[in-house]
Amino acid sequence: MRYWEDFTVGMVMEFGGYEVTEEEVIEFATEFDPQSFHIDKEAAKEHFFGGLIASGWHTGSMCMRMMVDNYLIDSASMGSPGIEQLRWKQPVRPGETLYVKAEVLDRSLPKSRPELGFVKFSHTVLNQKGDTKMTMISSGMFLRNPENSATEASQ
Amino acid sequence: MTKIYFEDIAVGDETTSHSRTVTKEEIIDFARKYDPQPFHLDEEAAKKSIYGGLIASGWHTGSNLMRLLVDNMTNNRAGLGSPGFDDLRWIRPVRPGDSLYYKSTVIETRRSESRPDMGIVRADVKLYNQNDDVVLSMKSIGMVKTRPE
Repeated sequence: MRYWEDFTVGMVMEFGGYEVTEEEVIEFATEFDPQSFHIDKEAAKEHFFGGLIASGWHTGSMCMRMMVDNYLIDSASMGSPGIEQLRWKQPVRPGETLYVKAEVLDRSLPKSRPELGFVKFSHTVLNQKGDTKMTMISSGMFLRNPENSATEASQ
Repeated sequence: MTKIYFEDIAVGDETTSHSRTVTKEEIIDFARKYDPQPFHLDEEAAKKSIYGGLIASGWHTGSNLMRLLVDNMTNNRAGLGSPGFDDLRWIRPVRPGDSLYYKSTVIETRRSESRPDMGIVRADVKLYNQNDDVVLSMKSIGMVKTRPE
């Protein structure tokens, strides 16, 4: 189990390998972002993007899935308070494979909640060629390691 | 439908959307695909979590906001997409049966220096539940075409 203490400033994690399919791009956008360049192959060709592209929220959600699979699922994650900044740098297209580079930028301990801490991350979503698709600065909440906390409390 | 161009948008403009109800099945389905953490997926595990029950993935809530934005605004705006957003906060959990709507207020409009055919519109967007509690807030950024001459 990974606790707040295990996310040290400067730590880098690289992971992913999410294959973006046309079927999934259209399925996501039909439910959440039904603009023509996300759902209609023919109409998308006429648009300035020149072809079908994934909804930005879909790209964020695919990034989330890679984060969960690679470091959140075996961590003491308590969710997230939010995203400071998110930028969609380039369209994501069917046939691309997405990867994530995550870096720990900062961390802090709230005075009001001694059992948990905040970790501030930078996440960059890249394709198989290394082109940057999305950048995000966000925070996560993690439980503190109960053993460390007990040691500190007894000192 | 009349197209709304950059020139038609002013600081202080407000929009209120219709509502979109979130079901338990949708919460679990989204989480299975994109955010398989126990408090989004598993009712029993969620009861034991700090949230005390099943809650929607924050990305699901953001995506539902996007759907409301598309239905209410984007389709008649001469929009050119969005470069991103700032200061997104998940303020309250969204639970099965919640019905969500947004209010947005334009906070800044400026012409692009590099592209005279478009302007940037920033808005303060708040997503509310059926009790009028804010569940999510963010500052959106949209690119909008200027009126053709």
